[in-house]
Amino acid sequence: MSWLDGFKAAVILFVAAILQVSVFSQAHVLGAPPDILLVTLVAVALLRGSVVGAAGGFFAGILVDSASLGELGLTSLVLTLAGYWIGRYGETTGRDRFHAPFLSVAVITVLYSFGLLVVHFVLGETAPAGRVFEGVAPAAGMNLVLTAPVYALVRRLLRPSRRDELSTEVQLIG
Amino acid sequence: MAPPNRSARAAVLASSVQRSKSNPYPSKARSALTRRIVLSVLVFAALALLTISFRTPSGGVVHGAQGVVSSALKPFQIAASRVARPFRDAYGYVDSLAAAKSQNEKLRKEVTQLRAQYLQSKSLAAKAEDFQKLLNYEQGATYPTGYRAVNAAVISFPSGPFSQTIAIATGRNDGIRINTPVVSGDGLVGRVTNVFARSSVVTLLTDSNSYVSARDLTTGVRGLIRHGQGETLILDQVAKELLVNKGDALVTDGTRDPRYPDLYPYGIPIGTVSSVGISDTASFLQVQVNPYANLGSLDSVAALVKR
Repeated sequence: MSWLDGFKAAVILFVAAILQVSVFSQAHVLGAPPDILLVTLVAVALLRGSVVGAAGGFFAGILVDSASLGELGLTSLVLTLAGYWIGRYGETTGRDRFHAPFLSVAVITVLYSFGLLVVHFVLGETAPAGRVFEGVAPAAGMNLVLTAPVYALVRRLLRPSRRDELSTEVQLIG
Repeated sequence: MAPPNRSARAAVLASSVQRSKSNPYPSKARSALTRRIVLSVLVFAALALLTISFRTPSGGVVHGAQGVVSSALKPFQIAASRVARPFRDAYGYVDSLAAAKSQNEKLRKEVTQLRAQYLQSKSLAAKAEDFQKLLNYEQGATYPTGYRAVNAAVISFPSGPFSQTIAIATGRNDGIRINTPVVSGDGLVGRVTNVFARSSVVTLLTDSNSYVSARDLTTGVRGLIRHGQGETLILDQVAKELLVNKGDALVTDGTRDPRYPDLYPYGIPIGTVSSVGISDTASFLQVQVNPYANLGSLDSVAALVKR
């Protein structure tokens, strides 16, 4: 991955983090706000692998924690693990599969919610498990609605710039 | 095209065309060791930041750095909020159209009632002022006259069920301190729980650690406002024999004992009683309160700084 790619991924995650904190966190459409940052991170991690996923998660978490003036490092910790895990899935079984973004977003929304719950619980802060259980299905639904457009956009923005990075295929003829 | 006497497989295998090498996944090319080192470093860094931030929530290098990053991000947050506002307003407009007619009818009745109450209150307030002068009545700072309002935009909203806090675009430089009360145009919102140079964290009334002493304006009953289900509040610690009616207005109770000054001055509107219940097992009345301030959708608030 080139520096330009890394810069592009950082800009994409920066925009997603600002939108999440300032706009989407207030948009309770089905009873839970959609998480455009998580969906964007999944797209970046699937397209660029586990190292970029983990670094992107850390960077995005720092932005969210700073912008919302929350506990610094809390969101970073959970998003780093989420980005790494989805990146590994992309590098191994999920590569080039149509359902990979949708499956990843659905699973990671649930794991992310419970991951945050566990971290809050361990820190002795408010950890309303009931409200997390209630909100996880609507949140996953909203995130799934966002998955297709966000993944398509991120894929377009992060498309390989060099010719040898383009995917090749063998066509049987005759 | 392959010659007809050759199979497709043979045609492909025998092809002399140089194919480009298969696409290596960018991260896959790295060794597993590098990958694990990167993950470990990032997790360790996140844990270190979390520990420092948790141990020193209102001071230190990390707190200062967070304030600087927050100030740098503020213009982007305000710009994003402004861009999104017309869309949010349009959604709110369409959403409220269905209930507009019945709400209009209800509000007309309420305006008539409130007008009568206003005139009555105005004459009583004039009398009260005269009595206070006659008695040389001493009291602490009162709302709103004893306070200066510092108006500020809301730059981040509660994210999910874990946090009931908002970030506002004003801070220590404008005179904001920890425990400064924060109101909206409708009523009490919460209090400042963390201050940076140009931004502050406000803990909302709906937070599980938020308690406000309140008073029923109609019956004079006192209680403690705490969080309830969703965005509702509960007036707690009200003995069963006391009277609280549905529709009663609640305001902050203010300081009752100078040795233990209250965080909030007397008279900030909190909400109205939406239901009152009594159960045999509970020690107190079960009073549900609807806050006046729309805590889920705040664009701007005012922090009350003592004059």
